Amino acid sequence: MAAVKETVETVREAEKYKYGFFTDIESEKAPLGLTEDTVRFISAKKDEPEWLLQWRLDAFRRWLTMTEPTWAKVSYPPIDFQDAYYYAAPKQKVQPKSLDEVDPKLLETYEKLGIPLTEQKMLAGVAVDAVFDSVSVVTTFKEKLAEAGVIFCPMSEAVKNHPELVKKYLGSVVPTSDNFYATLNSAVFSEGSFVYIPESVRCPMELSTYFRINEKQTGQFERTLIIADKGSYVSYLEGCTAPQRDENQLHAAVVELVALEDAEIKYSTVQNWFPGDEEGKGGVYNFVTKRGDCRGANSKISWTQVETGSAITWKYPSCILRGDNSRGEFYSIAISNGHQQVDSGTKMIHLGRNTTSRIISKGISAGKSSNTYRGLVSVHRKAENVRNFTQCDSLLIGDKCSAHTVPYIETKNPTAILEHEATTSKISDDQLFYCMQRGIGEEEAVALIVNGFCRDVLQQLPMEFAVEAQKLVGISLEGSVG
Amino acid sequence: MTENATRRFIEDYEARREVLPGVDGWLSRHREGAIRDFAGVGLPHRRLEEWKYTDLGRVLEKAGIEPAPLLEGAVLLPESRSAAVFETIDRHVLVFVNGRYRADLSKAARLPKGVEIHSLGDVLHEQWAKDLVERRFDEKRQAESIVDLNTALMSDGACLRVRKGVKLDKPLHLFFFSADAGASHCRNLVLLEDEAEATILETHLGEKASLADLVLDISLGVGARLNHIKLQDEAESSVHIATMRARLAAQARLSSFTLTLGCGTSRGQSFVLFAGEGAEANIDGAYALKGAQHLDQFCVIDHAVPSCNSHTLFKGVLDGESEGVFQGKVIVRPHAQKTDGRQMTHALLLSRDASMNAKPELEIYADDVQCAHGSTVGELSKDALFYLQSRGIPEAEARRLLVLAFLDEALDLAPHDEARESLRRLVSDWFAEADI
Repeated sequence: MAAVKETVETVREAEKYKYGFFTDIESEKAPLGLTEDTVRFISAKKDEPEWLLQWRLDAFRRWLTMTEPTWAKVSYPPIDFQDAYYYAAPKQKVQPKSLDEVDPKLLETYEKLGIPLTEQKMLAGVAVDAVFDSVSVVTTFKEKLAEAGVIFCPMSEAVKNHPELVKKYLGSVVPTSDNFYATLNSAVFSEGSFVYIPESVRCPMELSTYFRINEKQTGQFERTLIIADKGSYVSYLEGCTAPQRDENQLHAAVVELVALEDAEIKYSTVQNWFPGDEEGKGGVYNFVTKRGDCRGANSKISWTQVETGSAITWKYPSCILRGDNSRGEFYSIAISNGHQQVDSGTKMIHLGRNTTSRIISKGISAGKSSNTYRGLVSVHRKAENVRNFTQCDSLLIGDKCSAHTVPYIETKNPTAILEHEATTSKISDDQLFYCMQRGIGEEEAVALIVNGFCRDVLQQLPMEFAVEAQKLVGISLEGSVG
Repeated sequence: MTENATRRFIEDYEARREVLPGVDGWLSRHREGAIRDFAGVGLPHRRLEEWKYTDLGRVLEKAGIEPAPLLEGAVLLPESRSAAVFETIDRHVLVFVNGRYRADLSKAARLPKGVEIHSLGDVLHEQWAKDLVERRFDEKRQAESIVDLNTALMSDGACLRVRKGVKLDKPLHLFFFSADAGASHCRNLVLLEDEAEATILETHLGEKASLADLVLDISLGVGARLNHIKLQDEAESSVHIATMRARLAAQARLSSFTLTLGCGTSRGQSFVLFAGEGAEANIDGAYALKGAQHLDQFCVIDHAVPSCNSHTLFKGVLDGESEGVFQGKVIVRPHAQKTDGRQMTHALLLSRDASMNAKPELEIYADDVQCAHGSTVGELSKDALFYLQSRGIPEAEARRLLVLAFLDEALDLAPHDEARESLRRLVSDWFAEADI
């Protein structure tokens, strides 16, 4: 009997959203709602220079005149933007100088999440910037990175210490007027990571940011800016989780990447925000604007994303291929289960000569979820010899889910060669039978087949995270068969 | 921007409502509703997703949208190759000049028993015509709202009804010719009852700045078969909006093929609704554009029931500053298992200034289906050109050969043997004269 009980426990454990706990920590919040005063409050909290405050206020005033986009294939009740907190920070008297001074409760939280912040775990060799609600808690490996000349710090610190870089690049890829959520973010962004890789430097380690929403009723608005100067290389990874709640929380981030001549940026995301419970209650609304600008010749930007969480995902990491011979890549796995809704894809804007892009998107929908790929490949008049290959495959598990593909292909230059293909299929009974007949359980078999289906993309992830992502794929699909 | 043209259409309706056919029956009420809906949304513009690549409102702002004059006297029909393309085929012919049926120029005698061919005004009292005109495929579809304009202003059209199990002996040729500038609004109705069969050929010609607003409403009964071939060769100053709405019962088959060799701004819309299992629809086309021509093919296939097949292939060649658009959507509704949906679009760009926009969409709510779409855009392969030249074929000739071979795959799908051969000859002559 004990064994049965144990099994039941284990199964129950596995089915739950592992990161759904809440850390009880005293925090400081901006007043409820969003007004100019909120924007001033956030700016004052961060001790920001006047130009940035003006920048925020401009964005806020513009936001007031904008309306929410409705073209995506997602549905949700109207969001009351006045019923949320736009700034929340764990209370801390002084800025911690080392890990010992950080609130142990916070460290505990990150430990539970499996993020290597403490010294012994630093052996993992990944520099981490941990963001808790609206502020950065700690950034590891700062000294070692500084030796190489790499700047890796929270955005608020960058504003203070490197204002010339921030001023030059902030908003240069995603302007404040870009879209409803990006404009909102520009007005109220509170934290995020800033990365600058100097000329001809290969960043000595993987950089990583870990985002955590903890407070109730708060939105998270981080802003990440990565600049890779001539001939440099950086690989960056972000991860995200949130506590389990029955209300919807808003996450509207902006990520800007700038790659100068011969530079390469590899940006990977493992997104695992709380997806809502079985009835579709709660979960994070993930409305994110991510864009990379291949500004210099021969530059390269590669997006890899594993999207398993969020109640609603609205996200299109894009590449502007401005420099000649630049290259953009987009590898995506989007898994939706339960009542999740995903509308994700990419934009490849070919402006320079001999630019190439590659899009591999794998959508897996299970339960009652809806999964949409929406992508644009656009070739401008002066972009000679452009090459694009797009493949988007959808896998349906069960007959209550849906999968959509909405590609836009626009060419104004005859030398371009563009190819697009898409397929939709389901896991065949033969494949399942073959696995089960060899003693593999049904759910495990599904996970195995799905892992094979998205292998092309998983291979693009940095090694440390590939393993985690593979497990995540399995967990996300639990309860989807039978 | 588009208010002006919209208002002119509404004024046109107000002025002519008493003289449009069906003034004393259900249709006048229906027209009232349609013009109200049209006034509500106005002419489509690029901010609407389904009109993203064609700004019809802006084009019509400049075009002559007053009704084309009613011609009753002698008319000189054009003698171009396009006009003569179906001449060798034994067929019934209905001629429409400036959007009005001309009995004197038509020839549709000795129809088999069970086949009825009328002009629109003569069938409006019949229930089947009412059913066809009144139906609406999707209330929310932005592309279908333009049909309201046609409903409000339609003044003539060809109506074909084939009774159960009857086969139309010869193809029915609908010949539309714009002799003057101005607008014509035609509504064609086709009802094939169970197991009935028919072939329809359509030709659209015009040298003037005309607006052709056409709707073809089709209903196919169980096991019915309809082959449809449309040839469009109009002036560069013309505007052409054609919508085909087809509902297919079980085991029915629709094969439709459109060849466009000349147009100004043209939008072809096809809506196919599968209402019975085991039906099949092929919506295909080929086009060759030059100058500042603009062709937008919009195609929605709705798999509402299980076990239906659909196939869409559009191939086109774009020269000059022309612009091609393909927007397709295959919808597989929940429970529409065993669906097979294929959607392909390929375009060749021959000039620096030509452009192509494609948006092949899949919307799938069932899991046991096979759906695929593909899209390619490129120029003529330099290797292939070199290969032909190295064997002594001059460059111009080699280009022509390759372009014809490219279009041939689509031309193969024209669903009538004789017509297909005629079209093939037409295309090859067209390219012999064109400077590509």
